[in-house]
Amino acid sequence: MEITLLLLQQLSVYLVIIYLLSKTPLFMPLIFISGRNSHRIACYVLFSSFCILGTYFSLSIENALANTRAIGAVMGGLLGGPVVGLAVGLTGGLHRYSMGGFTDVACMLSTTSEGLIGGLLHLYYLRRGQIEKIFRPMKALTITLFAEVLQMVIILIVAKPFDQAWLLVQSIALPMIIANSLGAALFMSIIQDKKAIFEKNYNAFSNKALRIAQRAVGVFRHGFDAQSCQKIAGIIHEETGVGAVSITDREKILAFIGIGDDHHVCGRMISSDYTLKAIETGEMTYADGYATAYQCSIHEGCKLGSVLVVPLLQADGQVFGTVKLYEPKQKLFSTLNRSLGEGLAKLISNQILLGRYIQQKNLLNQSEIRLLQAQVNPHFLFNTLNTISAVTRKDPKKARELIQHLSQFFRSNLKQDIEQVTIKEELAHVHAYLEIELARFADRLSVTENIADELLSLKVPTFTLQPLIENAIKHGTSTLIGKGKLEINGYLMDKDKDTLVVLEVIDNAGHYKEPSNAKGLGLQIVDKRIKNQYGQHYGLTMTCESDVYTKATILIPLPKQQDVLC
Amino acid sequence: MLKAIVIDDELYAREELNELLVETEQVQVIEQCSNAIEGLKAINSLKPDVVFLDIHMPQITGLDLLSMLDPDTMPKVVFVTAYDEYAVKAFEDNAFDYLLKPVESGRLLKTLKRVNAEKLEQPNYEPITANKLELIPCSGFNRILLLAPNEIEIAMSEQTGVHLLTDKDKFTASLSLKVLEEKTDLIRCHRQYLINPTCIREIKLLDNGSADIVTKSNHHAPVSRRYLKVIKDRFGLM
Repeated sequence: MEITLLLLQQLSVYLVIIYLLSKTPLFMPLIFISGRNSHRIACYVLFSSFCILGTYFSLSIENALANTRAIGAVMGGLLGGPVVGLAVGLTGGLHRYSMGGFTDVACMLSTTSEGLIGGLLHLYYLRRGQIEKIFRPMKALTITLFAEVLQMVIILIVAKPFDQAWLLVQSIALPMIIANSLGAALFMSIIQDKKAIFEKNYNAFSNKALRIAQRAVGVFRHGFDAQSCQKIAGIIHEETGVGAVSITDREKILAFIGIGDDHHVCGRMISSDYTLKAIETGEMTYADGYATAYQCSIHEGCKLGSVLVVPLLQADGQVFGTVKLYEPKQKLFSTLNRSLGEGLAKLISNQILLGRYIQQKNLLNQSEIRLLQAQVNPHFLFNTLNTISAVTRKDPKKARELIQHLSQFFRSNLKQDIEQVTIKEELAHVHAYLEIELARFADRLSVTENIADELLSLKVPTFTLQPLIENAIKHGTSTLIGKGKLEINGYLMDKDKDTLVVLEVIDNAGHYKEPSNAKGLGLQIVDKRIKNQYGQHYGLTMTCESDVYTKATILIPLPKQQDVLC
Repeated sequence: MLKAIVIDDELYAREELNELLVETEQVQVIEQCSNAIEGLKAINSLKPDVVFLDIHMPQITGLDLLSMLDPDTMPKVVFVTAYDEYAVKAFEDNAFDYLLKPVESGRLLKTLKRVNAEKLEQPNYEPITANKLELIPCSGFNRILLLAPNEIEIAMSEQTGVHLLTDKDKFTASLSLKVLEEKTDLIRCHRQYLINPTCIREIKLLDNGSADIVTKSNHHAPVSRRYLKVIKDRFGLM
């Protein structure tokens, strides 16, 4: 009984050491099981040390040692697997052997087999896919108990003389079995606690990050401005619970939410050295208010006591702003929020870049339409005015009609924001244009039009047909000395189970040339807009037989029935 | 009264200008042409005092037409354009007469006044005309044809006009031999002949110091003594 208590005392010291170690990063490899060699080596080194430690914390009894060595060996095997277990057991055993005594060989053998037993249990659970079970203290207790019983048996078999061994086992068996089993269970319990805390933090971290990410989606769609920053700052403030959150660009504060918002005013120029440094270097700066003094640069009585400044980086590494997290003086910056801050900056940078991209894409689309409209060439306008001027003399009624057509042409050109029109509307635009050109080229142009009725209600991107017709006249029929002929066709065509809408504009000039640079931009835009909307299989193709014809063909998919009805 | 030709590819534009010119009572429009080729023929045959020339026309622009006119018999030219920034700038820079469509009658009167005043002066159109012609307008039987200069083997001036021989055909050009010599790579071999140097197959030297050129397509062109030296020089046959 006395030995049991003494051994338990030793065990206490042993466990205190383990507990202290559990506070250091040394312990981290023990929390997760991985087959990596680095993990195995860490386990080996750590548990061999515990094994040896257990030998030193022993009580000398009858020329033998009552000890807690088994804990290290079994735990090493449990957490590291059979190879590590064997190695730990062997190392501990050899160390024990070096200390001599009549049980030296028996102890070496038994310690080695204890390590192996732990390892075999590890293997057993690994094979069954239940590796998490080895973290249960009861398992550690049971297996150590079994291992210790085995050790006693080995001592009885191997240690000579048997009488002495028998006496020894009688006095140490119970204390050692109790102490080692209990010790292993407590050791495992410490690991389990550590693991639980880590996972809880980890979960809290990922949950926060995910929630912020989710809420931040799309906020920067309209750009990196005060409004969107205010919104994001609000989200971060709510989710992290820090004292205050601020977002700046390179010059001024765009958003500030939280403690101190009375003097940290949006629109104010950046005055904090930490922020300026972060902008300049592109690196995170942190002033905890203790090791690195922090004093608000705006107001002396500011309650904020620490700050984390994370720069926002463009793809090319340029800093375009910062995110700042603050804690008030009486509160410590949690490590969680510190690491979260870094991730947040990345998230926000990405969101902003995405926003910019989308914005620019929209701008491009709009500017492309404007470009098409701006392409109403002045030549056309002045020639038309000249035609009208001539017609007025002879046929005022016709002149009035031409002015109407011209008005309609410009009116539909000015409908900038409409993305889609029906083919019927597009044709009206085309007709206004054609009426003018027919008057202008009076005797030199004729047009035939053949559009299937079922197409009229279908929608197409605005300015799909008109640019083709303008092109066919400008670079086609008008360059002919003889008579120009223009043909406009629209029909449905079945192809590979799909039905395609085909629109054709054919001139009899055959003067089409592959566009170079800015030339032919109008046609390129028509093609691009159709491809953007319907996919790469559709769009505009130009075919040309020199001096015979040029044909512009547009293919778009026939919308499903319900779309047509809408 | 000034005799004028109006050249514009748009019917209404021609009519409008015609009306305006008639209204001034200073001009008699003797011909209206709907393209540069007709215009060239009309200018060469009718010898007007002044030509109202649209810039933008199919195939051969007004400026191309200008390059095809013989400087010796060149009429006064008034350019007409609806919109052409570059051309207008060139006209301004060189003080050429031009009108913008729709034509304003006041401006037209001013222009006519200038034309009358400077009737004898011939401006130098070189800054705005091409050095080389890309297409040579020809009239064949009932058709208009545009010939690339390198298709021509021989150009010759005869009583009936300037004729162009290609490998197979013979065309009548509306240009003078002098313009062809200046504005194409054809070289003079005789007072009445130009030859395409890339098409020469044989130069037969004759006893009297002249020669006879045979082209790839077996056309013959005489070489006068005066030009034989030039041709020999050119081919390094001294």
